[in-house]
Amino acid sequence: MTLALPRPVARRFTLRRPRPGLTAAGLVLLVTLAAAAWPSLFAGDPLAADPLRVLEAPSAAHWFGTDQLGRDVFDRVVHGARHSLSIGVAATVIAVGAGILLGVVAGLVHRVADEALSRGFDALAAFPLVLLALLFIAIAGTGTTSLIVAIGIATTPHHARVVRAQTLVVRQAPYVTHAVAFGASRPRLVLRHVLPNVLGPIPVLAMIGLGEAVLIAAGLSFLGLGPQPPSPEWGAMLSEGRGYLHIAWWASLLPGAAVTATVISLTVIGRHVQHRFEGRPS
Amino acid sequence: MRRTRPAVVATALALVLTTACSAPREGTAAAGRPVSGGSLTWAVETEPITFNPHQYAQAKARLLVWNTFEALLTHDTQGGYVPWLSTGHQVSADGRTYTFKLRTDVTFSDGTRFHAEAAKANIDQFSVDGYNPSVRAVQLRNLDRVDVVDPATVVFHLRQPDVLLLDFLSSPQGAQVSPKSLKEAKNLKAGGPDLAGTGPFLLDHYTAGQEVVFTKNPAYNWAPAGAGHTGPAHLDRITYRFLKEPSVRVGALTSGQVQIIEGVPATDEALITANPQLSLSRGLNSGSAYSYYFNTTHAPFDDLRVRQAFREAVDVDAVLTGVYRGSATRAWSVVGPTSPFYDRTLEKTYGGDAAKANRLLDEAGWTARDADGFRTRDGKRLTVRLVQSAPFVRDRRDVLAQAVQAQVKQSAGIDLNVAVVDQGTATQALADGQYEVFDNSRADTDAGAALNLLLHSGGAINRTGFQDPALDELLEQGQAASDQARRKTAYQQVQKLTITDQALILPLYAPADQIAAGTTVGGWGFEPAAGVPASAYDLWLSR
Repeated sequence: MTLALPRPVARRFTLRRPRPGLTAAGLVLLVTLAAAAWPSLFAGDPLAADPLRVLEAPSAAHWFGTDQLGRDVFDRVVHGARHSLSIGVAATVIAVGAGILLGVVAGLVHRVADEALSRGFDALAAFPLVLLALLFIAIAGTGTTSLIVAIGIATTPHHARVVRAQTLVVRQAPYVTHAVAFGASRPRLVLRHVLPNVLGPIPVLAMIGLGEAVLIAAGLSFLGLGPQPPSPEWGAMLSEGRGYLHIAWWASLLPGAAVTATVISLTVIGRHVQHRFEGRPS
Repeated sequence: MRRTRPAVVATALALVLTTACSAPREGTAAAGRPVSGGSLTWAVETEPITFNPHQYAQAKARLLVWNTFEALLTHDTQGGYVPWLSTGHQVSADGRTYTFKLRTDVTFSDGTRFHAEAAKANIDQFSVDGYNPSVRAVQLRNLDRVDVVDPATVVFHLRQPDVLLLDFLSSPQGAQVSPKSLKEAKNLKAGGPDLAGTGPFLLDHYTAGQEVVFTKNPAYNWAPAGAGHTGPAHLDRITYRFLKEPSVRVGALTSGQVQIIEGVPATDEALITANPQLSLSRGLNSGSAYSYYFNTTHAPFDDLRVRQAFREAVDVDAVLTGVYRGSATRAWSVVGPTSPFYDRTLEKTYGGDAAKANRLLDEAGWTARDADGFRTRDGKRLTVRLVQSAPFVRDRRDVLAQAVQAQVKQSAGIDLNVAVVDQGTATQALADGQYEVFDNSRADTDAGAALNLLLHSGGAINRTGFQDPALDELLEQGQAASDQARRKTAYQQVQKLTITDQALILPLYAPADQIAAGTTVGGWGFEPAAGVPASAYDLWLSR
């Protein structure tokens, strides 16, 4: 998810046209956020099982049908929003925080140390994200916390590289060289002059990174490495329902649709924010 | 009136046994006459944790054992013993000396001959420290020594009468392994191609996580009397692919990637029966029912009322209907319903009474509730842990556990914590006592063998931790008596004590195996008595 190439200027004329894609993405995200914030407002108990009503097709009573234990799939998808989003947000916070720290350090320190850090980022970035996360989980064990940390660590190098590049640019800026000339102390230089000016692209990166984190979280939960049953996590629901796919598609397909819609929405909005930030229309 | 009763029971038992065991050689009619040659792929649910029969532990891996190994005895369709590597045996009047006459025409696949010294070496192997201490401590508890009289005669001397010796000698752990390979095998406990047996197939290679391949033993010519044919196996080669996912197995069969599968979930049975190119058959296992055992060594299951409450909190019928679509047979006793020792009077005497469960828990002091709706006592939540070992999870027992988890939460506020973990983690948790519920089923042909392991205070898998001299005494009576009626009386008292009086066990269902195969496959079916899929000896492929 590197920064996009400049688009043709002609796109500027579409600026004020209504954009149904963006609107839809915004709506999906609003609904997801509302579900994550107040799940009980929209849905019943996600753990209430009725063994005599298993794998029932979607109906008025059960909008998304029931799963293999007779739990309401709609209730579970709604409650799952909180699990999936909070894992994504927490992992992104870790990744962005660590990324800023390491990126600024790499951008400011001596060349040898910078080389070492940068090659470290390159080496980590060369691994597929999921593989890195899997490696961490293999060491730390399964569970929600370890899943969050794993995704956070796996996505850190990406943020760190952007911040480092930004730091290098800012370091050469006249106001920084002037501050150095005026004898500003090093902590003051970093906190007052460098940091505020490298943070600009971070919200954009975080937005796009969030979509990615939610996707990886669902993927790892699918493999049974995230929240354990009976937690209503989307990836885990997809996994539990896959054995019944040919007779009850709703038990796995609808949680899968929730993951897809959320991740696409986050990415669409993230891209939009990114283009606005770069002074280009999306 | 009293005299007609045993006859009625015997008839009922015979009926149960014949329906359970009438399955062998199921596919024959569909596929025509047996053909020699060809290779077949069979998708199985469970990957064996060992290929050494002495280390055997998974009922689902039993169908692999008899491909390469054989025992002194096997079973006929009536559940009785028939000679296999022996030609007959005699029991002394005091029940303490078993004299076996052995076949003299049998050769291990490493070229050495099978004789009395080999049979003795196989038993002696269990005396090696760390080899399989549980067999030595339980199954061979009463064995004093094995004497070789001549190459065709071996005598087992017991310290006290023990009819379960015959069950052991017909079980995978009693299978005969070449003494030469017992000495020379590279990794003895894991087994492999270098562990030689006398069976109709040779283990060609094993790829962990994928498959195990057997090739025909052309020298084989000592099939037992009940087998479908004599001489070498029909197939040249058979591959067992490990496909853990039920839907993947069914998909592999319907798409023709494999010709035969075992372990068909109830939800998928319609897919098989609707296809004219496929057929399906089910067999009830012998041994013990799939049950939850309550750990009585610490709270909360050290309290009889909590054990009873857990049992009342589960509506087993509803759970089984949900998970198995009504295809599972509910168990009421730890002894499987096909066993002659099954105590029918236990049926409908407990379970499914949520009000009673709540009353019992209130009495036991678990009166408060926390924010999640679970009961608490002194601020501690009523949590019980079930640790399932992944290699032993079959028949969607993980889903069943989740269904029970939901039931006990909803009806009584009990927090059942379910974790499916690898074998090492599970072994550790059990050794450390970090569990409150233990789940198990055993496919021993004689239920008494299972009860010894599960309930005797010295049993290797006595996970209830329940110790009672009276219970041990009853189990020993059942093991010593040669008279079937006396054994039955003893084992019925065992069941009453553990199920009714002490509520140590929540029996769930009688394990069953399902086989589905294409119509080109013949000779498949279930092992008599054990009720698990039979070996590949009689299998054949038309064309």
